[in-house]
Amino acid sequence: MHHKASTYWARGIMTALFLYLVTPIVVTMIYSFSTSWVKTILPSGFTLKWYSQLITNADFTSSLLRSLGLGLLTTIIAQICFLPVVFYANVYDARVKSHLRFVTVLPFTIPGIILVTGLIQLYADLPIPKLLILVLAISLLSLPLTYQALDNAFIGQDFRAMFEQALVLGDSPLKAFIKVILPNIRAGILIAMLLTFTSAFGEYVLTNILLGGNFETLKIYMYRLMQSNGQASSVLTTIYFIFLALVSLILIVIMRHYAKHDQSSQKGTHN
Amino acid sequence: MTTRLKVFSPLSLLVILVLLLPISVMIVASFQGGDAGFSLDNYRQVFTNHYYSEAIRNSLGIALITSVFSLLIAIVGAWSLTHLAPSTKNMFISLFNMSASFAGVPLAFSLIILFGNAGIWQALTTALHLPRLFEIYSLSGTTLAYTFFEVPLGILFLFPVFEELNPEWREISAVLGASPFFFFKKVILPIIFPNIIEVLILLFANAMGTYETTFALTGNSIVTIPTLIGTLIDGGLTANIPLACTFATLFALVMTALVWLGNRVTRSKREVAA
Repeated sequence: MHHKASTYWARGIMTALFLYLVTPIVVTMIYSFSTSWVKTILPSGFTLKWYSQLITNADFTSSLLRSLGLGLLTTIIAQICFLPVVFYANVYDARVKSHLRFVTVLPFTIPGIILVTGLIQLYADLPIPKLLILVLAISLLSLPLTYQALDNAFIGQDFRAMFEQALVLGDSPLKAFIKVILPNIRAGILIAMLLTFTSAFGEYVLTNILLGGNFETLKIYMYRLMQSNGQASSVLTTIYFIFLALVSLILIVIMRHYAKHDQSSQKGTHN
Repeated sequence: MTTRLKVFSPLSLLVILVLLLPISVMIVASFQGGDAGFSLDNYRQVFTNHYYSEAIRNSLGIALITSVFSLLIAIVGAWSLTHLAPSTKNMFISLFNMSASFAGVPLAFSLIILFGNAGIWQALTTALHLPRLFEIYSLSGTTLAYTFFEVPLGILFLFPVFEELNPEWREISAVLGASPFFFFKKVILPIIFPNIIEVLILLFANAMGTYETTFALTGNSIVTIPTLIGTLIDGGLTANIPLACTFATLFALVMTALVWLGNRVTRSKREVAA
């Protein structure tokens, strides 16, 4: 009896939370399809005009490409920095993990606006490309996501035994890693890459302040549109939300796929 | 030893280049006066200038209200989430993740569409002759805006803790004759309380460091520590990077101490519980 009542409460609360979080997004979506929606309760009509206008705009394409490039570079750098360390910590020396914990709180103790102050002070007058510094700095701030996702990938299997067997059989450490470890942590790597990519793709603070608006990424373009053209900005916001939704969908598919895979392989070993 | 070096060198290089070096230079610069000698003048300004103390007051006020309010909703939300079917649960976790990523320019824009001067809320309240209650470009509007990412973040932090609570404990304590209140006070609270404190600190720190949403929503009309730092860096004539470094140094120092303290509370409590 008690269980029933709490379930109803839970459902009611979650419905309210859902409405509260989703309303601004849904309203922006409707706005992007409206001919005009100013100071009225309902829009005056619907159109796809704003979409064709934005998508054919050269500024949109170039800002999209910049954000994609930033996302890809950051994803690669984050993997190069963290994959070996997380592997080492999980297989050889768990003590390393306690040292890595500082990484997980980094976005809270040194958020983007604080980090960029130091970067400006250090690199503003040095002849080093700011873009390189930007990519490295975004990689640093995305490390908590990368770290957590990669660390989860190492749960549940004896990677040390697998790795050492491969070494005994004559593989070099790098070859052993690629042959026996990598195939087993594919899901974790994919998830880590997607999360890193998303955070770099939507970066704003570092890009805007470090490069002073000279490097117009999608978010900076969105801010410029917001000041000048509400309709175009609502289209871009909607596209950005659809991008986030697609990423979540892919994440769910990956997790489901590998969860099933794990279950069947576990059953195999138990039988 | 050489493998260790190979394994750690990319990460170490990254941390040195874009964390340790810039932060050290930032701390040194915060003590630079006009004549490049050592001076505490910047620090004196931070605490005596009226405009700067307004930024500090605004930041503390917004962060304190949003973090406490969001924590309360997040506790109820995380509790509710544990009562849902697994597939619905996953759908909501995705939604919370998306909402947290939606923070910043897109969120600010959506809220302006909804609550702005030409927005739907305005039309609705005018049509129904209701008071508007709040102004989205103001302090209270900014505070409301923060809850749109603080609440989902809080739920994502708290949910794993709530998920670990065993429903059988309640039955056992009921069988042993404990009242629900006694059960809550003696069993549930000691387990979740340290985590709640830790999450509160993280939400507070997160709100304190928020730049994008505030800047996109209010321009520079609501001054907080992060938007003030932004203006001090690229504010043209009023730019003063050493002063920005002073604010940033104080921020990093206070937040590191706070997060470290939160971590200690959780760990010592856990050890006592174990």
